[in-house]
Amino acid sequence: MAVSGLTSRKVRTLLIMLGPVLGVAAIVAAIGINESSKGHLKAKLQELGTDLIVVNASAGFGFGQDPVIEAAAVGRVGRLPDVVAVTGTRQMSDIVTVPFAGAEDYYRAFPVPVIATGLDLPSTLEVPLVSGRFLNEFDESSGARVAVIGRDLADEYGYLRGEPRTIELNGLQYGVVGVLDYVLLEPSMDSAVFVTFRIAVDDWGLDAPDPSRLYVRAPVNTRLVAQEIPVVVSLGGPDGANASVPTDLLDAQSQVDESLNNLTKMMGGLALIVGGVGIANVMSISVIQRSSEIGIRRALGHSRGTIAIQFLFEALVVGVLGGIVGAGVGAGVVWGVAEQRGYTMVLSIVGLAGWALVSVGVAVVAGLYPSTKAARLEPLETLRLG
Amino acid sequence: MNPSGPGGAGEVILALEGVSRIYGEEVEVRAMDDVSMEIRAGEFVSIVGPSGSGKSTMLGLLGILDLPTHGVIRVRGVDAAGLSDAERSRLRGDAIGFVFQQFHLIPHLTALGNVETALLYRGLSSRQRRGRAMEALEQVGLGARHDHRPVQLSGGEQQRVAIARAITTQPGVVLADEPTGALDSKNAENVLQIFHDLQTPDRAICIVTHDLHVAGSARRKISMLDGHIVADEQLVRS
Repeated sequence: MAVSGLTSRKVRTLLIMLGPVLGVAAIVAAIGINESSKGHLKAKLQELGTDLIVVNASAGFGFGQDPVIEAAAVGRVGRLPDVVAVTGTRQMSDIVTVPFAGAEDYYRAFPVPVIATGLDLPSTLEVPLVSGRFLNEFDESSGARVAVIGRDLADEYGYLRGEPRTIELNGLQYGVVGVLDYVLLEPSMDSAVFVTFRIAVDDWGLDAPDPSRLYVRAPVNTRLVAQEIPVVVSLGGPDGANASVPTDLLDAQSQVDESLNNLTKMMGGLALIVGGVGIANVMSISVIQRSSEIGIRRALGHSRGTIAIQFLFEALVVGVLGGIVGAGVGAGVVWGVAEQRGYTMVLSIVGLAGWALVSVGVAVVAGLYPSTKAARLEPLETLRLG
Repeated sequence: MNPSGPGGAGEVILALEGVSRIYGEEVEVRAMDDVSMEIRAGEFVSIVGPSGSGKSTMLGLLGILDLPTHGVIRVRGVDAAGLSDAERSRLRGDAIGFVFQQFHLIPHLTALGNVETALLYRGLSSRQRRGRAMEALEQVGLGARHDHRPVQLSGGEQQRVAIARAITTQPGVVLADEPTGALDSKNAENVLQIFHDLQTPDRAICIVTHDLHVAGSARRKISMLDGHIVADEQLVRS
């Protein structure tokens, strides 16, 4: 009887299911996206390592100067007790890069980052080379025009592994000696050209081999080291640098994301409650519309309890269907977002089932009032005797 | 005190003993006042009276859809007021069948589904329910229309489905409230004939009506006025 009562008015049934569907879908999506994001973040943190510190030079002395960290400071940082590796870099500007001479017309010139770097960047960042080698002592001391390129740039230029290639920087030819793998921490490096500080001074007019950024690896007391670095760099003078742990930033970002997700969960919960109110309202109207049916069933010998159970069962079916569909929709949203953002989808089946059950609970509670109302209808009132 | 009806053959199915039904508290309305009567198996009874005479109240009390303010209603000897709602519902379903002027068929069920509704919650399998419901439909001549919904049936056919629903539980009495009131004369005659065909030594038929022709087709006529039984007479049918 309950199922026929629902199927006889399909549009009404679909409408009252919307509340539980939207509520469960919102909550499942919020939780699923959060968990998938956390999973991605956890993997990213593990890949980055939570012991990497990034130091940026802050405003230097005098106007019009890009802030730098004096080269001697790099050594001081390296001598801190818990520091195991430190490398300085400095990005240069206004350099046009093409894969080979004469290709300006074929390849669109685009602003490729050209970065002067210390020699141990791969080990500090814990990023391997895809092919070839990184810059070395000989390159630095001899001033040889060699370069290492990022992986995306290698793909852009069609670089083949082991192929002897040159690239042209503002008309100067550089031999490509290696390709650096993806740098998770600094995705811009994937399209960069790396040269020695010696070449940066000789060819690009740097005053001194002073980096503007340091990458520091400190497996122990990382945050303490991050606090010490600015003091070591500036030697007590005006701040010459600021240091941060990128994974802390990511963690902080995840906290913000968590707050947004909690908000979404609250909205989902609100949608469930509103959906429950909708169920109660529509079913109450249904009781009035079906008062004749209720009256005749009472006359046929159905008790108040039987009538109440039928309407409660209709609410239960709505809750079950709404919960299942909502869980499915929510899972679909999580899958879509994970695909779009490159996450691995993380979704708990137990969690899905749990929220579907919550939908059932909300629907049953919402059905209590109309089912009680139906049971209390007096057949004489509805059968219009006489 | 109103006189009880003349004794008929068969078991007493329904009995009212000094029954009154009073509505309202500040201003009392005595819809029925100290009525006693019996309906026995095998009787064909009509209850007549003008509007406001208490016919509907009588029907509601006879069908234990309502309980008296004073007095006792017995169904097959059982005091209905002493039962719980579930017990009273069960008793009603077993002993009494109802036919109403407005048919009151459930619109989204077929004719068969409507008749089966009377057989729900009785421990019958779906096959048993279906079989008994089909028998009842065939008894009223609608076996071939079992899969039609009420909207696909004429008024007379819908009332016949309602009659099938009333008899499928093998009740001791069928109570009918103006069963021909919504029908044209031809269908009204057909339905009336079906009621006569349904009367058996084990079953009573009781029709509440203001139609004197319908009332005259019964064998016993109870006349009501202002909540009292003013006449209870045996009719001789030619």
